[in-house]
Amino acid sequence: MRSRYFKQRLFFGAVRLSALVITLALLGILAYILAHGFRAITWEFLTQSPTDSMTKGGIMPAIVGTLYLTVGAILVALPLGVVSAIFLTEYAKQGALSRIIRVGVNCLAGVPSVVFGLFGLGFFVVFLKFGSSILAGALTLGILILPTIIGAAEEALKAVPQTFREASLALGVSKWNTIFRIVLPSALPGILTGAILGVGRAAGETAPIMFTAAAFFTAVLPKSIFDEVMALPYHIYVLATAGTHIEETRPLQYGTVLVLIALVLGIDLIAIIMRSMFRRNKRW
Amino acid sequence: MEKDFIVRTKNVDFFYGAFRALSDVTVDFEKNKVTALIGPSGCGKSTLLRLLNRMNDLIDGTRVEGEILLEGRNIYAPDVDPVEIRQRIGMVFQKPNPFPKSIYNNITYAPKLSGIVDSEEIEALVEESLRQAVLWDEVKDILTKSAMTLSGGQQQRLCIARALAMKPDVILMDEPSSALDPISTAKIEELIDTLKKHYTIIIVTHNMQQAARISEYTGFFYLGKLIEFNATEKIFTNPDVKQTEDYITGRFG
Repeated sequence: MRSRYFKQRLFFGAVRLSALVITLALLGILAYILAHGFRAITWEFLTQSPTDSMTKGGIMPAIVGTLYLTVGAILVALPLGVVSAIFLTEYAKQGALSRIIRVGVNCLAGVPSVVFGLFGLGFFVVFLKFGSSILAGALTLGILILPTIIGAAEEALKAVPQTFREASLALGVSKWNTIFRIVLPSALPGILTGAILGVGRAAGETAPIMFTAAAFFTAVLPKSIFDEVMALPYHIYVLATAGTHIEETRPLQYGTVLVLIALVLGIDLIAIIMRSMFRRNKRW
Repeated sequence: MEKDFIVRTKNVDFFYGAFRALSDVTVDFEKNKVTALIGPSGCGKSTLLRLLNRMNDLIDGTRVEGEILLEGRNIYAPDVDPVEIRQRIGMVFQKPNPFPKSIYNNITYAPKLSGIVDSEEIEALVEESLRQAVLWDEVKDILTKSAMTLSGGQQQRLCIARALAMKPDVILMDEPSSALDPISTAKIEELIDTLKKHYTIIIVTHNMQQAARISEYTGFFYLGKLIEFNATEKIFTNPDVKQTEDYITGRFG
């Protein structure tokens, strides 16, 4: 009896410890970045272009560029991913074809991001002649996050009770309307969760945009989707490895990281607010 | 007097993959009457019910043989659109399944999609359907509230009202009161009694007293076969087949 009690305490202790380690790791990273970066955050830093070989000035072009690329990637991946998920869950017969598609999607999720970068360079930049541009970068990032979106959307669609579908079909409503008006609205919160995960991924990736969209330095903001942009992750990479004053710009690097995290959180916050709005009245 | 049969099945066989769930079922459902289908679990009565409005189409790997006629037309003919059949043959399920929408929108959802756009017509339809389902007085002031806030019995009557709003000819009910308390059950039974003036009702039930109370005809199913089909009074007092008697008197089932 006492040994069982001891085992339980041991196990609970281990569980608590793991949770603690994870929380501490996250808080540790955040605190470290905050401590090193917050001095760099000034109004000027957020609203100016870099100056003096990127050792001074701000990162506005990179903020704008990352915003464009991330939103563009979501605009590419969300419709495509949701439609794919609808096909897989609602239309495709559960057989060889849908299995092959699922394996394909899962493999896509496992492909290293630099491979997407090279593909984007070869296909969008060179073959389709988009050049290094927001369009090419957004498409590349879109493909990168597609598996995340498809996976989340599929789970969300599967979680919609079958009775909703039956109720709608039994009223003589077509399958398309049933999916569009009953199933999809019920699945929206889950789909948005997928979008949130996608945003974090798309905003933070460096390799896929390195060859397809990101400029080393440009002081002007993009005028069209065929323009090159600066991007936060690539800017960090450049400052930390390829600049002429790596040590001097450390505070700028941490500042940029801080901005990137804040940006991702900001976009996520919009999605989370939308999600909680959709969730109201959607309990079953 | 010549009887008017609205739905007839002729030698219907139904397969889930290799499993034969129904064999050689031939039965005629009379217009504006209540027909109860009874039998032990897994006997095929719900399967037959779901065949009548092509709900079994949703399940992969099933196969129907024989004919099911709605006013003489085979609903499984290749040129028949199941959507159109389901508009004429509505269905109420075992568990109340309102949409996560307002009470009002639960009613208007399908009629609007079927092409009714006039807002006065829609409003009249909502009131008429809810009155027919004896729910109007309880919900007339909370029509914009979510249907999920209603009690189970109210939800089920809302589901009936929702089916009525499509003005079907036939209403299929799959154990509509098995998830409800006795008072709600009594309300549903009263409702069925008034509805049969305008609708043909086919109801699957596990509750034999219910079948005896509300139906004019009863079909007894066992192991995928229709063992006996007769006037309800006859089935419950003096059945022709011994198996029916055994089931009704509780000797097996």
